[in-house]
Amino acid sequence: MKLSAPLTVNWTLSYACNFSCRHCYSRDIEKEELALEENLKVVDALSQARIAFVNFGGGEPLLYRHLFEVTEHATKKGLKVTMNSNGWLIDEEAASNCAKAGFRSVGISIDGADAPTHDGFRDRPGSYDRAHLALKNLCAAGVPTTVSTVIFKGNVTRYKEIVSQAADSGAGTVYLHNFKCSGRGMENREELDLSPSEWRDFYEDALAWRDDAPCALAFDDPVIALLGEESAAAVKGSTCGKLSLHLEPDGDATPCGFIPLSLGNILTDGLKKIWNDSDVLNQMRNKEATGKCVGCSVYGECLGGCTARALATTGSFNAPDPHCWKE
Amino acid sequence: MKKLSRNPDLVWRDEPEEREVILNALMSGDESAADKGWVIIIDKGSMHQLNLLAGEIWLLLDGTLDEAGVANDLVERYDAPFEEIIEDVREFIAECDEKGWLA
Repeated sequence: MKLSAPLTVNWTLSYACNFSCRHCYSRDIEKEELALEENLKVVDALSQARIAFVNFGGGEPLLYRHLFEVTEHATKKGLKVTMNSNGWLIDEEAASNCAKAGFRSVGISIDGADAPTHDGFRDRPGSYDRAHLALKNLCAAGVPTTVSTVIFKGNVTRYKEIVSQAADSGAGTVYLHNFKCSGRGMENREELDLSPSEWRDFYEDALAWRDDAPCALAFDDPVIALLGEESAAAVKGSTCGKLSLHLEPDGDATPCGFIPLSLGNILTDGLKKIWNDSDVLNQMRNKEATGKCVGCSVYGECLGGCTARALATTGSFNAPDPHCWKE
Repeated sequence: MKKLSRNPDLVWRDEPEEREVILNALMSGDESAADKGWVIIIDKGSMHQLNLLAGEIWLLLDGTLDEAGVANDLVERYDAPFEEIIEDVREFIAECDEKGWLA
């Protein structure tokens, strides 16, 4: 089914951040931020296009000073609003403001089962404790929470502990994210990223454990199709440009946060034109098998895996995902 | 009979342009088009697609019609026998009820 508009818009209101994470895709990006009035117009455009979900990311969304005003406007328009935060700024008052603004849920990034691992990865001493405190503050305020965990060499052997701790702090779902090779993720890839066979082992183990996990587990990696896992999104391969789109602080649209290719500006070009006419999105929606994908028995299921990772490592949308373990 | 309403907490969206594509394909003799999706429902993190008839029924679940009312609306629009349509309506409603998609 070709959608008339994305179902989800991942929206970076600001690239400003109080952390300096070792895998960050956006730490070195600078963009002008739209004024509040313009961001409210963006909300109106999203509502008019019948976007279902808006997820604020970044950067740290709480550093954008009009976050709650934009969120309130969006929720009043019927959009389901969520956010991914590092949690540092979510004290009791901020948690209460999240509830009042109408956040459907708030996701907190936790990448270690102990403070040294998490704080080292996030380059911010004290951030592990603050992340778990944020979860508890949000729970106390009645805001559903999730946890986002980027799997890397430093935490893969202890991901179950991360999940258990997240559940203890009130998280309903833990997203076990695959490692992206964008920005610092590319610079530090050799040190942080798993090998293809390590990814296979991790997914086999996590999928086998899923039913026994203390909270829901979610995966967003197209290569998981290699293990016969059906996509919850009902589309094959990457969902970027098929179900979702990313907005930058200046209103420019990109396929996803990990693909820094501008497709046009939502305020000047309009969402419909961007979604329907973009050559980049057209290429991403109609990938062609190349290299080892040619003739692969599961290509129809994974469509070459993560397009962002293929593009970052080879310069081609159609290249095989470097995480793919098939020979 | 009970008037039928969608669960207001459920996120869904219809795609009218896709519906037109399906109807045009059916008019051209492609009967398989009736199985293609044109309504999306997001439930518990999963995306579901409703085919032509299920989507038509879904849009009628606005709290004003019962099962017979829904079937009658579709009978008029699709010029189909009531007995056939009501069975499809009952089947889909039962499925929706089981999934928690109804109010």
